[in-house]
Amino acid sequence: MKLTINGEVRDLPSLDPETPLLWVLRDEVGLTGTKFGCGMAQCGACTVHVDGQATRSCVLPVGQVGEREVTTIEGLSPDGSHPLQEAWVELGVAQCGYCQAGQLMSAACLLEAIPKPTDDDIDAAMAGNLCRCGTYPRIRAAIHRAAGGGK
Amino acid sequence: MTRTLRGLAALALGTALLGCSEPDPQPDPEVEPVAVAGGAPAGLQAFDTVYAVLTHPRCMNCHPAGDRPLQFDDSRSHALNVQRGPDDRGRVGMRCTTCHQQANHDSPHLPPGSPVWRLAPKAQAFEGRSPRELALQLSDPEQTHMTFEELVAHVRDDALVGWGWAPGPGRAPVPVAREEFVAAFKAWVAAEAPIPEEGSK
Amino acid sequence: MKTTRRGFLRGLLGGGALVLGAPLLGPVELFAQEGPAAEAWRASLWLAIAPDGAVTIVAHRSEMGTGIRTCLPAVLADELEADLGQVVIEQAPGDARYGSQNTDGSCSIVNFYETMREVGATARHMLEQAAAQTWGVPVGECRAREHAVHHAASERSLGFGALVAVAATLQAPDKGALRLKPRSEWRYVGKGFPTQDAATIARGEATFGADVRLTGMKFVTVARAPVLGAPLVRYDATATLEVPGVERVVELPGFKPPHLFQALGGVAVVASSTWAAIQGRRKLKVTWGESPNDGYDSQAFREQLLEAVRAPGQVLREAGDVAEGRAAAAKTFAAEYTTPLLAHAPMEPPCALAHVTEAGCEAWAPTQNPQAAQDTVAAALGLPKEQVTVHVTLLGGGFGRKSKPDYVAEAALVSRAIGAPAQVVWTREDDLRHDYYHAPAAMRFEGGLDEGGRLVSWQQRSAFSPITSTFAAGSTQPAPFEHMLGATDLPYAVPNLRIESCPAPAHVRIGWLRSVCNIWHVFGASSFLDEAAHAAGADPAEFLLQSLGEPRELELGAGVNYPNYNKPLADYPIDLGRLRGVVERVKARAWGRELPAGHGLGIAAHRSFHAYVAAVVEAAVDDRGRVRVPRVDLVVDLGLVINPDRVRAQMEGSIVFGLSLALHGEISVEQGRVVQSNFHDYAVQRIHEAPEIHVELVESDALPGGAGEPGVPPIAPALANAIFAACGQRLRDLPLQPEPRRG
Repeated sequence: MKLTINGEVRDLPSLDPETPLLWVLRDEVGLTGTKFGCGMAQCGACTVHVDGQATRSCVLPVGQVGEREVTTIEGLSPDGSHPLQEAWVELGVAQCGYCQAGQLMSAACLLEAIPKPTDDDIDAAMAGNLCRCGTYPRIRAAIHRAAGGGK
Repeated sequence: MTRTLRGLAALALGTALLGCSEPDPQPDPEVEPVAVAGGAPAGLQAFDTVYAVLTHPRCMNCHPAGDRPLQFDDSRSHALNVQRGPDDRGRVGMRCTTCHQQANHDSPHLPPGSPVWRLAPKAQAFEGRSPRELALQLSDPEQTHMTFEELVAHVRDDALVGWGWAPGPGRAPVPVAREEFVAAFKAWVAAEAPIPEEGSK
Repeated sequence: MKTTRRGFLRGLLGGGALVLGAPLLGPVELFAQEGPAAEAWRASLWLAIAPDGAVTIVAHRSEMGTGIRTCLPAVLADELEADLGQVVIEQAPGDARYGSQNTDGSCSIVNFYETMREVGATARHMLEQAAAQTWGVPVGECRAREHAVHHAASERSLGFGALVAVAATLQAPDKGALRLKPRSEWRYVGKGFPTQDAATIARGEATFGADVRLTGMKFVTVARAPVLGAPLVRYDATATLEVPGVERVVELPGFKPPHLFQALGGVAVVASSTWAAIQGRRKLKVTWGESPNDGYDSQAFREQLLEAVRAPGQVLREAGDVAEGRAAAAKTFAAEYTTPLLAHAPMEPPCALAHVTEAGCEAWAPTQNPQAAQDTVAAALGLPKEQVTVHVTLLGGGFGRKSKPDYVAEAALVSRAIGAPAQVVWTREDDLRHDYYHAPAAMRFEGGLDEGGRLVSWQQRSAFSPITSTFAAGSTQPAPFEHMLGATDLPYAVPNLRIESCPAPAHVRIGWLRSVCNIWHVFGASSFLDEAAHAAGADPAEFLLQSLGEPRELELGAGVNYPNYNKPLADYPIDLGRLRGVVERVKARAWGRELPAGHGLGIAAHRSFHAYVAAVVEAAVDDRGRVRVPRVDLVVDLGLVINPDRVRAQMEGSIVFGLSLALHGEISVEQGRVVQSNFHDYAVQRIHEAPEIHVELVESDALPGGAGEPGVPPIAPALANAIFAACGQRLRDLPLQPEPRRG
């Protein structure tokens, strides 16, 4: 089975096509930035992009990915310079940090389609990403900051 | 507008499709909008079956009246602030296919799937419709953007409609067999799509 | 120093597990390491300085989101005059020489702020001494500043790195001779600094528990008894072993009561991938035996707790005579409150990797308490503690769950059985169904007001499954540290007062969750105070201030066993002036403002973990009884603040955590089995529900208090009080669920 992950074609033999993409990324490919939180698309910690669309990798059987391109947090930018990543650091969004890869991937998908999102856009795009530490106010602020392009 | 005129309008508008899901429904050569034996009473009886199916949670949940999908057998508002979005496929960042993939999972609380997963346009809402309202709506091509032939094809062939009979664990399937439902739909159309009286059940 | 297992457990029972954190540390351990000068100078357990000037500071507390892993090293760096930019932070493994590493009870700063300062100052003195010796000038003329030592008169400077060879030969100064930097010279403390992990987290490169990889490692899930204490009778793994990737199954022994932090036991599925281990477990057919907890039903238990508080209990604190007070009162009233079982549900479920070899056990785990993990693994394997190494990864949330290292013991037992590294992964279902739960509680209050609307009588009783049951099988009596959390320290000035505790058993594992018993004690007391205010026809905020009385230190009276979060009352009094202060500030910024129809404000205040917090919550209730929280204002006075931005973050998080438990949180149990299984039925707040938040920090010179937990307790009662103000419904049970409006 071939998968395109972060722009690189990976040959992954002997994979059960029912295996969720999440576990292929973590256990077979070694990209552990994508996290497991619930296994049922309730928490968003496993969010990746599939052809640019935010997707819960814990419920996506790897056999359904096909030719589509997968982007994980490791591929969001080469060096952590995505405006969202910078805003996340500047505003100290993360507390424990576990959910933040998923939050960033959802937020990146949002900004790609809506460069200046409203609070309502943020509520709609980000409600599938849980944060038990309660970093929501800063997630919202950091998305706005990244959208503003400056401080 | 008379029923005949409505039927003609429906045929004329047949190309303006906003179908429930791909592939586009193909017209059914068996369906002819002409009177059949039994006429309106038989058509109304057939519509009872149609109505029961369309307002079943498996159909109604994705034909909601508002901007939120419904879910489960109690047709509660969809969790996670999921919304209709401009193309009935969710809003940016939370598209239907962010979670719903091509097939069901084997647990009731994992997102069920089908090759296409989306809401019906708001104009085709089933939620909160009386039998009369729903019959009028189905007969109005300005709302359905489908001919009767295309409607029949939709209920007969569409994969997401078919999911209603195989919704996976934890969800009641539509209680009427799909063939029976399609037959009832055809019978209603064949009877020139009679409209139930106000207050009928 | 060493902590024996026996001593460790005694500590838990006597002093309180969550507040165990009084440093078990003697004087700061400093030693000049012998060795070639090219090597780094190991100035202390916590500190090494290399000849190139690189400073390594050890973080011995666990990072679960508070920023402590950066915060304590920054205190040391500040006192050392090191440049944080040239500091590498190294995470300590479990090691009793650090004193307590149990990152729990909001006590890392409370207990180690001074220690870090002393370590930094000691090394700074030695670097200054080394410079003085090198230049042949009096040490008094040498001053460390910005990673170098300077001699003003001769305008000479030497970087820290250039001084380590000499410094390493010097004697450490006595603690009494240390000169600590005056506040005016602090570089980082109180000013703020970014956390070490922010950038790696944003890049997805931070290492959490399940991210550790070892060659040859196996992935493991464990089937555990659905009812606590049910023995494994038999299992059939035929279908499991047919799952591709599953390699074998291993039976794990059950625990012997008390359960402590032991592995629960069960059947482990060992596989070449996590998914295979999860799939394999689903195919396992297991038969469990009977348990004494089979009949546990959380609804029936709630009634049992209510019955318990309707009868007199053990008196914890008393003043005046409540019976006489009530008899003389112009108005009397009573109310009962209940709170349910809660699960921690950190975003990262428990997990651990262990590798057992001839040499011992090496483990990697997201643990709040690596020394307890050492103890637990050592006991499980029958090894001396010295042969167990526990590395601490980042924690994907803790909230108290990860101070109990049962999951580390599971990994160790499986690794020993299979002779390979084993990573045990808990699913969310495992997490919610095998937690150390926050206890269910009931409280009963009886109060009386005089003609002037002042409280003259207050009696309260609480009953809850005690944490002591985790350490002593069958215990029904909470320990003083549990009463301390919001009961014995009731702050109201009432002439006739009685606080009682009623016994209750436990039928699931009970543990501590962010702010612990404060959650129900403060929900009850602050709600009841609001009821009293309305009975008196008074403004609730004014009534709260009136009930707190004059600024003073709270006198608990003779015979009250009050551990005061393991600190002397002389150093950390219950200062009602500070509690009044936060109430007045939050009142000034948020109380009494114009609101839309259907909205209301509620207020509550509490001191816990040596921090004073007051909150005003705005609630909006619609006709269907749905609650929305548009805004929360919170003022906190926790004394000296090390990193203000992280304290704000903790308060923001505490508000969201408090709203989750106030509006959603409930674990229910039927026939001994937990009903909920994942976030679809154990909901926590999401971004679209989260309020606008305003946090104010009070500037203070008082000794530093805790930050991780004290923001939580006032939130639920302030919300309940706001709901009453919004719609007239007095809700006395968590989670808060107003009735739809009739008609």
